Amino acid sequence: MLELASIWKPEVQQQNYRSILEAMSRPGRIQNITFSQSDSDAMTAILATLLDGEVSLSDPDKLLNIDDWPMLQATKAEPDCADYIVCKGSSSPDFEPKQGTLSSPEYSATLLLQVESLTSGSSKIRLQGPGIETSEEVSISGLSDDWLTRREDWVYAFPLGVDMILVAQDMILALPRTTRLEVI
Amino acid sequence: MTELEREEWISVLNLVPDEALRAVIDNFPADWIIKPKALPQAGLGLLKMRDSALGEPFYLGEFPLSTCWLSISTQDGKTAEGAALIMDDRIEQAEQLAICDAVLSAKLPGWESVAQLVSLGAERKQIIEKERKAILARTRVDFSLLDDAGDDDA
Repeated sequence: MLELASIWKPEVQQQNYRSILEAMSRPGRIQNITFSQSDSDAMTAILATLLDGEVSLSDPDKLLNIDDWPMLQATKAEPDCADYIVCKGSSSPDFEPKQGTLSSPEYSATLLLQVESLTSGSSKIRLQGPGIETSEEVSISGLSDDWLTRREDWVYAFPLGVDMILVAQDMILALPRTTRLEVI
Repeated sequence: MTELEREEWISVLNLVPDEALRAVIDNFPADWIIKPKALPQAGLGLLKMRDSALGEPFYLGEFPLSTCWLSISTQDGKTAEGAALIMDDRIEQAEQLAICDAVLSAKLPGWESVAQLVSLGAERKQIIEKERKAILARTRVDFSLLDDAGDDDA
């Protein structure tokens, strides 16, 4: 009787978790996210998979539907202290996300950036690092260069840093803190 | 409607036989749109307490817990919200009780059946409380007898 959108169901969340894991393990390779177009979107599907009541979320660009907040269970937080931050890729970052501590680098922020496309665009980037055999090249549209510039500062003192997931339509591409980027 | 406060509805409805509750739920219009407001969940609740000597927190024990918060939209445009938090590991039970809560609070079609269930549950609760009081009364100790025993020892 109760209508629950597919992204809140365990079987879909397990599928999406696998995709996120694969994306983080193979930076630069696009993975697909499962959701129903009629009542959801990829960003909410990812958050539904990753979040619970123990973590905090910030949505400075107001990308999320207000009705989804109680479903996500995460507490609201300012971008400077949130565990997860959802932003428009086209805007510029005006905050300093958590980068963890040397003893606990996992207490850092994961940034989810909504972009227009992960398959074509003016931003061409070469990726190298763990999970990439030699190098990967990606073209992205709807991503401000400021994110890449600021990311350099945020991931400079490894193991401190932030992890990024770019989202467009039903596709995601991850940029873990270990990935080295070069704009080409 | 019902003489009980809304906060008591769920506890008494939870005492109603499952078949009676199911029968009432099945009679609600199938075209209602029922959506969760928060993720329905079942799990274990932990009862945290502090010891009286050092004030250190400890967990006294755990208990099954199910929650549900939902909204109902009817075809004639009415909407209602209901919720249930019960010591039970069945999410479906929490969902059914939350639906009853919403129906009764907004007087949606069929609310009279829910009100009858509330009355039935209230009667059962009274019987259970009476039984518990009787059990408790049997455990009462008359300490005045100890005084007599003490005199004998002396």
